[in-house]
Amino acid sequence: MSQEHIRNFCIIAHIDHGKSTLADRMLQLTGTISDRDMQAQVLDTMDLEREKGVTIKASAVRMAHTASDGRVYELNLIDTPGHVDFGYEVSRALMACEGAVLVVDASQGLEAQTLANLYLALEADLEIIPVVNKIDLPAARPDEVAEEIAALIGVDAATVLQISAKEGTGVAEVLEAVIARVPPPAGDENAPLRALVFDSHYDSYKGVVAYVRVVDGGLRHTDELHHIATHITFKPVEIGTFAPDMRPAAELKSGEVGYIATGLKTVAESRVGDTITHKAKDLPHALPGYREPKPMVFAGIYPVEGEEYGELKDALEKLQLNDASLVYQPETSQALNFGFRCGFLGMFHMEIIQERLEREYDLDIIVTAPSVEYEVLMKDGKTITIESPAKLPDEGDIQEIREPWMTLQIYTPTEFYGPVMELATKRRGIYLNEEYPSHNRVQLNYEIPLSELIIDFFDGLKSRTKGYASMDYHFKEYRAEDLTKLEVLVNNEPVDALAAIVHKDHAFHKGQALVSKLKDLIPRQLFVVPIQASASGRIISRANVKAVRKDVLAKCYGGDITRKKKLLEKQKKGKKRMKMIGSVEIPQEAFLAVLRLSDE
Amino acid sequence: MTETSVYIHIPFCTHRCGYCDFNTYEGLAALIPAYVDAVVKEIRYVGERVLGPVVVQSIFLGGGTPSLLSAAQVEAILRAVGEAFLVLPGCEITLEANPGTVTSGYFRALRSLGVNRISMGVQSSRPQELTILEREHDFGAAIQAMKFCREAGFQNVSIDLIFGLPAQQLAHWQRVLEDGLALNPDHISLYALSIEHGTPMQRMFSRGLIEEIDQDAAADMYEWSMNRLAEAGFCHYEISNWAKRDEQNHLMASLHNLQYWRNQPYLGFGAGAHGYFANVRTVGVLAPGSYVARMRSLPVRERAIPRTPATAAAKAVDRQDEIGETMMMGLRLLEEGVSRPKFLARFDKDLDTAFPGVIRELEKQGLLEDDGERIRLSRRGRVLGNRVFVRFV
Ligand SMILES: Nc1nc2c(ncn2[C@@H]2O[C@H](COP(=O)(O)OP(=O)(O)OP(=O)(O)O)[C@@H](O)[C@H]2O)c(=O)[nH]1
Ligand code: SF4
Ligand SMILES: [Mg+2]
Repeated sequence: MSQEHIRNFCIIAHIDHGKSTLADRMLQLTGTISDRDMQAQVLDTMDLEREKGVTIKASAVRMAHTASDGRVYELNLIDTPGHVDFGYEVSRALMACEGAVLVVDASQGLEAQTLANLYLALEADLEIIPVVNKIDLPAARPDEVAEEIAALIGVDAATVLQISAKEGTGVAEVLEAVIARVPPPAGDENAPLRALVFDSHYDSYKGVVAYVRVVDGGLRHTDELHHIATHITFKPVEIGTFAPDMRPAAELKSGEVGYIATGLKTVAESRVGDTITHKAKDLPHALPGYREPKPMVFAGIYPVEGEEYGELKDALEKLQLNDASLVYQPETSQALNFGFRCGFLGMFHMEIIQERLEREYDLDIIVTAPSVEYEVLMKDGKTITIESPAKLPDEGDIQEIREPWMTLQIYTPTEFYGPVMELATKRRGIYLNEEYPSHNRVQLNYEIPLSELIIDFFDGLKSRTKGYASMDYHFKEYRAEDLTKLEVLVNNEPVDALAAIVHKDHAFHKGQALVSKLKDLIPRQLFVVPIQASASGRIISRANVKAVRKDVLAKCYGGDITRKKKLLEKQKKGKKRMKMIGSVEIPQEAFLAVLRLSDE
Repeated sequence: MTETSVYIHIPFCTHRCGYCDFNTYEGLAALIPAYVDAVVKEIRYVGERVLGPVVVQSIFLGGGTPSLLSAAQVEAILRAVGEAFLVLPGCEITLEANPGTVTSGYFRALRSLGVNRISMGVQSSRPQELTILEREHDFGAAIQAMKFCREAGFQNVSIDLIFGLPAQQLAHWQRVLEDGLALNPDHISLYALSIEHGTPMQRMFSRGLIEEIDQDAAADMYEWSMNRLAEAGFCHYEISNWAKRDEQNHLMASLHNLQYWRNQPYLGFGAGAHGYFANVRTVGVLAPGSYVARMRSLPVRERAIPRTPATAAAKAVDRQDEIGETMMMGLRLLEEGVSRPKFLARFDKDLDTAFPGVIRELEKQGLLEDDGERIRLSRRGRVLGNRVFVRFV
C-alpha cells in the first residue's frame, strides 16, 4: 500500500477514560476481529491487565478500513496505558505515529494524564483528534467537556467528537477523522532503511520481537539487518504485522508499523529506541531515540526461603525481557540474606512486578518498603548514591543528604482545594501556584520530595477528594534536606530491611507510629519481643509484642483428624509467608508497615 | 490382629447450640427410626464384606445427641455391631448424653445393654453461660442426670465443660469447674470455646453482640485447671482430658479416644461419620436424609471396604501422612507421648531420622521433653501444642 493510504495513530487518555474500549470498537468496525472473537479490552492480553481492567503495556494492531471516499486505508493503531507510571510507554508509542486520538471521559472531564499525555503528543508534533467518550453515562457533560478540551488545544468545540465507545456511537466518525486529519507518513521510500524500535517483547521461539515503525525505505524477511546503536547484526526469524496476533508478512514498507522477530536472546540487544537498518558500509543516521525510562522507586525483593534465590533471579530475568524499565541488582541484607534491589517506574509498577512474581512464577517473596535514590555528599568530598536506607553511611561521615524533588500537578474540583493543600503541605510539599484549566477545576502546582509521594500519597489524595482528584509528577532536581535514618530494632537487633530515611522533623512521630504498627503486625512469638525505633543513635520509641500464651486445638470430634490437619497445614502455610529474623518471625506486611503510617 | 474401634454418629439434637458446628440437625427426630435401620444396614454391609475378624475394643455413640435414641434403638445398633464383628469382653461402650434428655430408667436400660460409659454434656453451671451457649438444660438437670447415671450403676462417667467464653473471667470459670468436680465424675474433658464459622455464635460475634474471646484469659483458666485437677486426683493424660484411677489403680482414660490419639483404626458409621481403617480415611455423606436414602437403595456396584454406599469421600493415607498424623495425634497424649521404640516398630524408621533437628529445636524452645525413650509436650507445650504439631505434619 502506498504511504498515502496509511495512517498511524495512537489512543491516549487518562486512566480508565476508555482507550481500550474504543480500540475494541474500532477492531470490530473494521472487521479486524469478528464479533464472535470479541471480548472486552481485547488488546489487554496479560492476565493481570484483564483482571485489573488496566492497560499496562502498549499494543499495536493493523486494521484495513474502507473510508467514506470508497478507498481502503491501512490504519495502524497503538493502544496505550493511562497510568502515570507508564508515561514512558506512551512516549515511545507516540514516536511511531502521526496522530493521536485524545479520549476524555464525559463525566470526569480533564484529568492529570489527559494533560500530561496531550503535552507529550504535542511535543512529538502529532495531529490531535479530541474525543469526548462515555456520552451514554447519565452524569455525562459532553458539551461542557468538549468546550474544555477545545479551549485547551485551541480548536473549535464543534470539531470535538462526542462518542460512546461502549455503545459504539460515533466510532465510525473517529475513524473518518483519523483518515481525514492525520497526515500520511512522509518517509522516503527510496532512502536506506530506517526502522524505529518503539517496543518489544520476548518470545521463547522467536527471541526478542521488536515492534517497529518503518520510517524510510523498506525491508524483506530475507534481509540481513543491523542495529545502529548496539551494532548487532541479525537475520530476522520472521517479520510481519499485528492483526492483532502476529501475522507474518514478506515485507514491511516505509510508513508501516509491524514487527521484526530478531531471534536475539536479550532485550538489551534490540533496545527500544534503536534504529534498525540494512547491513551496509554506509549506515544512515540513527532516528532520534526516546528517553530511557528511569526507575524512581526502589525496593528489595527477597525469597522467603533462601533456596528460592535462583528461581527469583530467573523470574526477574524473564520479566525484564518484556519490561526493560525493570532494573535489578543483587543485594544482601543482614536480616533477609540474599535478594535483589529492584528499581521501578512507580508504586503501581512495583505492585505489578510483585504480583507477577507471586502468581506467574509462584514465588514466596518479601518486598521491603520502597525507597527513592539518595545522593550523599561525604565529608571526604565524595558523592555516593544509595537506593536503600540500610546503605546510608554513618551519620558522622556525612556532609549532606540530597533527595529527589518532583514537580507535582494535582487536578481537583475546586471544592477540595483545602484538603488537597493540607495533604501536600503535610508531606513537605511547597506550593507554587494554581491554574484553572476548566470550570470548577483547579490545578495546584507543587514541588514535593518523591519520598513523600511514594508513601501512600495517592490514596490520601483520593480519600480526601472522594476520588475526584488526579495527579501527575516529574523529576525536578536533587535537594539537600535535613534527613536521618530511622532504624528499627526487633528483639534488640537492628533490622536493616525495616530502616527508613525520614526528615528529622518527622523522625519522632514516624518512629512512634512505626513501632505501634509493627507491634500489631508482628504475631506473638514464644517470648516477649521488644520493638524499638531509633534515630541519630537515640531510642525514640518502644513497645513489646507479648508472648503467645495459648495455641492449641480442642478435641477431635468423632475422629475427624482431617479437619485438624487442615488447620495445622494452614498454620504452616501462614508461617511460610513469614521471614525468620534472628529468632523472630516477621510477616511480609511488616516490611511495608512504613507505607501504612499515613496520617494517623 | 490390630484391635479396632467403632464410632457411630447420631446426628440429631432437639436444638442446635449456639457454638455448635458438628454434623447435627434439629427437627429431624421423625427420621430417627429409619436412620437407625440405615446404620444397622451399614454395619452389616461392612461386616459381610470385611476379610477376617474385626476385633472391637471400643464402641462410641456420639453426636449429635445419642441419648435421643430409645434403648431399643441403641440395642439394635449394638446387636448389629456384635453380629458383624468380634466385640471383646469388657469392650468400652460409651454413649454421649445431654442433661434433660435422660431418665433413670433409660440409663438402667442402657446399662443392661452393655453400655458402660457415659459422656455427659454438662458444659457449664452458670445460667448466663448456658444461655450464651444456647444449651437447653440448666445445671440442675446435669445434677439430676449424674444421679440417674450412678443409680443405674455406671462406674465410668465423664463430663464435658467449656471454658474461655466471651466475657468469662477466671473466677467464673473456677466456679464452673468446682461445680463440675462436685458432680464427682471419673473423667473430665475441658474444651476451650472457639467461635466456628457459620454458627449462630459467630453471627452474634460479627454483629458485635458478643465480645472476642480473650486468649490470654483462656490460657490462665487452663493453667489454673491443670493445677486444680491434679489436686483433685485427676491425671492429665491428654491435652483436653483428665481421668481418675479406679480401685485397681487403672487410669479411666477413654479407650475409644486413645484409639484416635494412637492413630489406630476405627470404623465410622452414620451420617458424616469418620473412619480410618485399612489405611483409608472415610467420611460418610453428611445429611441424614441422604444417608438413609443411600443405605436404602444399595448400589449394584460393590464398594471396597471400608467404603460403603454411604461413603462420601475416601482417601488412602500414605506413609508420610501416616507419620505426620501419628505425631500430631500422639503428642496430644501427655503421659504416653510418642515412643521411640513404637515409632521404629511401626514405621521401620527412626524418629530422629524422620524429623532431623526438629525435636532438639522444640526441646530448646521449651515445648518438648525428651527422656530418650519418648518425647512429650512440656507443660508449656500443652498450651502451645499447635506450634509443636506443625513441625511434624
Ligand atoms: N458507560 C460507558 N462506559 C465506558 C465507555 N467506554 C469505556 N467505558 C468503561 O470504562 C472503563 C474503562 O475502560 P477502558 O477501555 O479499560 O479504559 P482505558 O482508558 O483503556 O483504561 P487504562 O488502560 O487503564 O488506562 C471500563 O469499565 C469500560 O467498560 C463508554 O462509552 N460508556
Ligand atoms: S448438643 Fe452437642 S451436637 Fe447437639 S447442638 Fe448442642 S453442641 Fe451440637
Ligand atoms: Mg486500556
